[in-house]
Amino acid sequence: MADYIIRRLISLVFVLLAVSAIVFAMMHAVPGGPFDTQQGHLPPAARENILRKYGLDKPVWQQYLNYMSHALRFDFGIPYQQPQTTVAALIAKTWSVTLQVGVMTIIVAFGLGITAGKFAAYHQNSWIDNLVTFTATLGVTVPNFVVAMWFILFFGVARQWLPVGGWGVSHCLFGSWFCTDWILPVAAYALAPMAVVARYTRSSIVDVIREDYVRTARAKGLAESLVMKRHVLRNAQIPMVTALGTEIPNLITGSIFIETTFRINGLGKFFVTSTLHRDYPMIMATFLLVALLWGVTYMLTDIAYTMIDPRVRLGARGEGHG
Amino acid sequence: MVRPAPAREKTVNGLVLPDDAAPYSEQVLRLPCDNTRNETTFDSAVTIYQVFGCGGNLFGDTLVDLDKDFTPRPAAAASWSVADDGVTWTFRLREGMMWSDGTPVTAHDYVATFRLEATPEHGWDFSWFYTALGDGGIANWTRVVAGELPPEELGVRAIDELTLEIVTEGFFPPFPGAMKFGYVLQKRALEQHGPFYNNDPATSVSSGPYILDEFDPGNRIILVANPDYTGYRPARLARIEGIYMSPATYFIAFQTGEIDLVSDGALTPTDFISIDRDPVLRDNYLRHYGDFRTDYILFDTFNPPFDDLDVRKAFAFSVDREAIVRGVYGEIKAMPAHSMLMPGFPAADTEGTLAGFQHFDCGLARQHLAAAGFPGGDGFPGLEMWLRGEAPALAAVYQATAASIAQCLKIDLQVSNKDGKVFMDALNARPTRLQLGAVSYGMDFLDPANLLGAWVSTGRHSWKNEAFDQAVVGASRLLGNPDRRLQMFRDAERILVDDVGGVFIAHRWQGDLFKPHVLGDSFRQPDSNGVYGRHWGNDWFWGDVYIGKRE
Repeated sequence: MADYIIRRLISLVFVLLAVSAIVFAMMHAVPGGPFDTQQGHLPPAARENILRKYGLDKPVWQQYLNYMSHALRFDFGIPYQQPQTTVAALIAKTWSVTLQVGVMTIIVAFGLGITAGKFAAYHQNSWIDNLVTFTATLGVTVPNFVVAMWFILFFGVARQWLPVGGWGVSHCLFGSWFCTDWILPVAAYALAPMAVVARYTRSSIVDVIREDYVRTARAKGLAESLVMKRHVLRNAQIPMVTALGTEIPNLITGSIFIETTFRINGLGKFFVTSTLHRDYPMIMATFLLVALLWGVTYMLTDIAYTMIDPRVRLGARGEGHG
Repeated sequence: MVRPAPAREKTVNGLVLPDDAAPYSEQVLRLPCDNTRNETTFDSAVTIYQVFGCGGNLFGDTLVDLDKDFTPRPAAAASWSVADDGVTWTFRLREGMMWSDGTPVTAHDYVATFRLEATPEHGWDFSWFYTALGDGGIANWTRVVAGELPPEELGVRAIDELTLEIVTEGFFPPFPGAMKFGYVLQKRALEQHGPFYNNDPATSVSSGPYILDEFDPGNRIILVANPDYTGYRPARLARIEGIYMSPATYFIAFQTGEIDLVSDGALTPTDFISIDRDPVLRDNYLRHYGDFRTDYILFDTFNPPFDDLDVRKAFAFSVDREAIVRGVYGEIKAMPAHSMLMPGFPAADTEGTLAGFQHFDCGLARQHLAAAGFPGGDGFPGLEMWLRGEAPALAAVYQATAASIAQCLKIDLQVSNKDGKVFMDALNARPTRLQLGAVSYGMDFLDPANLLGAWVSTGRHSWKNEAFDQAVVGASRLLGNPDRRLQMFRDAERILVDDVGGVFIAHRWQGDLFKPHVLGDSFRQPDSNGVYGRHWGNDWFWGDVYIGKRE
């Protein structure tokens, strides 16, 4: 296992290098630079001054090497959007908020999604199944910013039951253990992944329920709860982990729609605004962060397989799943 | 027994609040701050295009302010004069102005600020302004920005503690109006902490009506009245709270009572329907000129097909401006445009005579297209009209414009909404890479030299007309005959619309939606044309606005 993890971490370093080179080349290839204004009147001399100040007057390959040499020392530069801070400080500040939103969303989405999926699978073609399927379809097809606006209009404007903005800044109970301004953003953000989780959970369980070994277990007189626990859920977990693991990096890197709509000062918006504003240091940092999270998530997913199914051997060549 | 009237409350500057004002403890104005914009500073002297939309430029007074009719009025400068040579301007600063650290505001602070703006390493994004002013530019500005001269050679100097001298490159009568951009930063703070010193309450220092109390980027900005302020716009408000949010949620936050003011840019067509249906909202949406912004189509007139005047005229006569204003903008937001200068702007065609050159007449448009060799649109190349990353509401306007042209002329015209920087990159390339685009332009200062100067052949438009160039440049330099000067600008604009440098679609009304309890003559009283609202450049608003007693 340790060898496997070391090999995966080494390969992750190469992935990050490749991502950094591709992103760096692409962002410099796109027309328009960080200091081109909407007015476009910046005189050549002034433009050159700014480019020199930020080291953008050098050839792209040289800029890349400069960037990487600093990045290896965890110096990711100054964000053009907030030049009074550093990229690392800005990410530390905003990602901590995004992580809170993401973790709560994961708990809600996975908790409710798995529960709903199980109910739907156990009660195939019943009204419960239909309700879960309908809700899941709605959750997947309606974008979260539309859901967010529905929630705001109903719960905030029409009924005035819940605050419509901020994150942990008001309406907090039990100290800061629970704030009412968490409810709407987490609910709006969780709806789509909850739908995905419910659908995957249902289909995985339904597939396993029809397997011969489940039928055999029942024929042997095993209690239904034990059949479900030992044979159905355990074997349904591998496809669920494969599908659901990939939701996690998305959720913990935030959503511009949720964050801007609910006035959450998180990292999510920087994925878009950095590109729009050609904020090169932030573009690089956010892409590297995402690449790192995906790499780690895939590695953890593979490790999870071995815990769920001992027959799985990590790094073994030519072996199937038994 | 007659009870004595309660004593009217005073502000931290000793100003007595109006009779209808709420108690001083309730003098709090809550503003939305855009959490999607790239904003980096409170001071336009640092960067003008990335200044905070809420709370910006409140830590110092510009040399000059504008009244409701856009006439320059004293601000930090109590008075000004020009020498007989016509290029040496003297600004006398108001006496007794203080920084919040207890030191006096001096002409040296203004000199340091102008020098910072021109310093090549600072790379001020508005440095084009004093170059574009031509004769009105500050002496040596362009050469200092280019690094050919040191900042000390700039035509700005302190004669004494309270006297600032600015030398311009040539005659430029409207120069005092340009000193609306005469910003100030504290010389000492600049030297000690650099240009972003106002981003941290620990290093921030203010000579404006407010001081920075709290700044949490992305969350909130808190400003409080500056008790040491002695300038021309002492605050009636005790406090300004800026709350970061997406413009998409401004109107919702306004409805839930979290903010007191929303500007038109954040209001959708649906929001305007809600405003129109509610008498309280309708009465408190105060429409104004804004920056006299005009939406128009621009061409590459140096290459086919737009090098042919008939093609350009065909486009000019095929836009149904009235229908677009009525059906897409809404009449609360725009008026049909037949030229560049919005009525109300100096030298504008208020009589509507220029409409003869650009109006909707589909039959005439088809005749011009036929004259260009494309009868019935046959053989006309398919075109793509680029937009500059427009929001949906304005993109719909340009879509409607393209549809009007395509339907009338029977040509293939598509619209492509590009990333803003991609658009500007193509527009500014020489030769331009933008064959056909739609865009808006608003003033930087209230003089036709600004809005018509943008069409001079050295500017960003790929259109050239010698007679137009001569008229605009000549009028900009003309001293001592204001009537003749305005007539020259009118003549120039007639050339612009007749030669179809652009196709003018609409002049945009701008406006602000206020809570009924937000009061002040600066926006609740009309200008001489009967237009209400918070006019562009009226910085005295921030001393005038107050919170009234709630019903």
